Amino acid sequence: MKWLARRLPAGSLLFLMLAGMALVAFWAPDAWAQDAAGPVEYRSFPVVGSRVVVWVIAQLHLMFGAFVLAVPMFALTIEFIGFRNGDKRYDDLAHEFTRLLSVSFSFTASLGALLTFFLFILYPRLMEYLVSIFDWTFMLYACVFFLEAVFLYSYYYGWGKMPKWLHLLLGLGLNMVGIAIIFIADSWLTFMNSPNGIDAEGNLLSTWDAINNFTWMPINIHRLIANICFGGSIAAAYGAYKFLGAKTEEERAHYDWMGYMGNFIAIAALLPLPFAGYWLGREIYAFSQSLGIALMGGTFSWLFIIQAVLIGNLFLAANYYLWLSMERIHGAERYRKFTKWLLASITVCFIVWATPHSLVATVEEARAMGGSHHPILNVLGVMSAKNTAVNVLILTTYLSFLFYRRANKEATVSWAKTGNIVQFGILAAVVGVVIFLGVYGYFVEASVRIGLSIPQVGLVLFAMISITIIDVFMFRNARILGPIEWGKIPNRAQYALFFIAITFAWTMGLMGYVRSGIRQHWHVYGVMRDTSEHAFTPTLGYAANVVSVTVLIFFAFIAVVFFLSSLSGKKKIEAEGGASS
Amino acid sequence: MMNALKICVFTVLVAAFYSYVSQMVPQKVTYPPEETELGADMTTEELVVAGEEIAGGKGTCLTCHTVSGDTGGRFPDLANIGLVAADRKEGFSDVEYLAESLYDPNEYIVEGFLPGMTPISDPPIDLNDEEILAVIAYLQSLGGVATVTLDTELRWQSEENSAAAAAASQAGAAAGPSAENLSGEELFAMYACGTCHSVTEPTPLLGPSLYNAGNDFSTAELYEAIMDPDAVVAEEFTAGLMSAQLNATGFYDKISSGQLKTLVDYLAMQKGGS
Repeated sequence: MKWLARRLPAGSLLFLMLAGMALVAFWAPDAWAQDAAGPVEYRSFPVVGSRVVVWVIAQLHLMFGAFVLAVPMFALTIEFIGFRNGDKRYDDLAHEFTRLLSVSFSFTASLGALLTFFLFILYPRLMEYLVSIFDWTFMLYACVFFLEAVFLYSYYYGWGKMPKWLHLLLGLGLNMVGIAIIFIADSWLTFMNSPNGIDAEGNLLSTWDAINNFTWMPINIHRLIANICFGGSIAAAYGAYKFLGAKTEEERAHYDWMGYMGNFIAIAALLPLPFAGYWLGREIYAFSQSLGIALMGGTFSWLFIIQAVLIGNLFLAANYYLWLSMERIHGAERYRKFTKWLLASITVCFIVWATPHSLVATVEEARAMGGSHHPILNVLGVMSAKNTAVNVLILTTYLSFLFYRRANKEATVSWAKTGNIVQFGILAAVVGVVIFLGVYGYFVEASVRIGLSIPQVGLVLFAMISITIIDVFMFRNARILGPIEWGKIPNRAQYALFFIAITFAWTMGLMGYVRSGIRQHWHVYGVMRDTSEHAFTPTLGYAANVVSVTVLIFFAFIAVVFFLSSLSGKKKIEAEGGASS
Repeated sequence: MMNALKICVFTVLVAAFYSYVSQMVPQKVTYPPEETELGADMTTEELVVAGEEIAGGKGTCLTCHTVSGDTGGRFPDLANIGLVAADRKEGFSDVEYLAESLYDPNEYIVEGFLPGMTPISDPPIDLNDEEILAVIAYLQSLGGVATVTLDTELRWQSEENSAAAAAASQAGAAAGPSAENLSGEELFAMYACGTCHSVTEPTPLLGPSLYNAGNDFSTAELYEAIMDPDAVVAEEFTAGLMSAQLNATGFYDKISSGQLKTLVDYLAMQKGGS
């Protein structure tokens, strides 16, 4: 296996394997029989059907793509921090993150090629139409993808072999090109949801308008942030995997630190993600109320209960990891008494967020309730309550971060007491106003209620930014109460990291499904109908099973990435000046 | 090896847990909407039944609207729409109001709600004129009495259907008042000019007040301001907004030269400041 891994890139293996499967599948004469009858709109795929095979491959490609585009962002940031402060640990960490990219890039490219083949073979009419709208952007994409490969491999293989400033510039180029890739690809898929730049018959009027459609920029931003979450969580899972197999204290310390950094990146990016989600939702409604209602109030409304369970679990696990992490910090015991209150807040918010508006009930239960709406829980199942819960949940997690940040520090500035009071005052006032606005939403018209989410979000952002600024100045030259003993963390903390990575992947699969699914029986919403046998929208349970299978395949592939990354270019972890310092 | 196995089992268990949770929510397959058969000789009562089927299916009306009498929803409840439709918009009969709210839903917004409904004659809903008549019959029946038939002519109908409906109307079908006969005030309301311009107050809204338009502008300037709104834009107003709005609502496709003259004459009469 080692011999094979060294001689044949993993992506090539995967591509050959999948291409072989595709060849066998399409070898059946039936698949081509309809060509003789005239223009082909769809072709079938054996056993699972064309929709599922495209669905799974697209999602796998997206997951690997997200990882490959996100890791350079934080690897470059960490490398730059190391360059500025001269701490070699950061450079080692950034290099180790980058090591995961090489194999993952091959996987991404292979899955992308396979997705393209399948789309053109299984959905020729749709692809012909999309090519007519986006013709030159496909060429641009290919060029930019080629540039991505050049930058990525130069960045990885050039580590330590060129002046640092040049290497950082390569990293910057890699990120710019990565962002261009995602923006181009997003234009195709967002056009399918919110078509623009075409006439009533669907003929192209302006390629730029087709690109710059209603949901393009919100999806771009949402995906960029989500990719960082996802990439961070996978990198943290890698740290956890290596931590569990570590043989020495130094290795445990290094990989504990790596896991922490990956998770920090993931959760820091998760906090603003709901705001990007709000923006995307608003743009969907602005484009078409029907599409927005299908998303939030119709066919897919129950999907958001599942999403609430996922995000609630993410917050719960992220906080749990932080609390466990504080066990390795001397001085953190001062904050331990707050844990139960933080947990209570998270639990209440989680419950409110996951409360459905209407309940699945038997006839007798429905009669007893007087309808499908529970007389009390019904109140918690509406957006006023849910928006409030999410905002308080974000603030609670932020508070856990704040405690972690100051765990082994004692402020020495003369105004420390005032600073704490001001911070508490801001937090209490913002929580109070956010809850007030949530309650106020029950007593006003829909047009006013919808607008209340904006001040809620604004206040939460204000609280996080202002409290952080005060904290930074307050803990300058702070007295250090004790060291952070990296590596001294329970194994269950590593499983929390795995849990976060799996939950992120599952959430990504679910949200990918709903983004595509809200088009329902349209390939291009309102322009090109899906007339295939798969035009129906399946049950959420069925979709969830497809997502689960996709996530398991992804982690099987990621296991290969972890394994191969461990083999190639093993970098010695230095005992001194390493993570334990 | 043991760790790898544990991680594998853990991954499978977490994924299985989420799959399990997803089986606990209602499981519903949504199929593409089916066509409702509409016979040329359908009675109004039959049309009501067909309209209800369309409203709940292809029309997707009940995705957003309720028919329960509850208030506080995101879109108006339709329980008594048949009763209130005739009084909702001045100068509009119940059929006209309902027709406008289906073909051109953002022309009139019920107080307390936001605009945004998709015209149901356009994709993705894409109902044809006969299906819309059926929906109107159903809506009339909610608290009121349905009167429309498939021969009812509406000014919003597409040309080919209007021709068919006109032929049908010669056979005695009821017809709505012609838009050509509307007064300037009615045209001002019909084209929702009042959303951005006031004729009753000197205070500007999104666009300048037309309270004193007769003194401030010549007839030629009024024509120009309507047909080429960006030709002259005062500093405090956004260029391109009015033309974008009028293009989006199809104003220039709909307005006839006769209507334009009536509208300009009406604005020229606004001399509130003198």
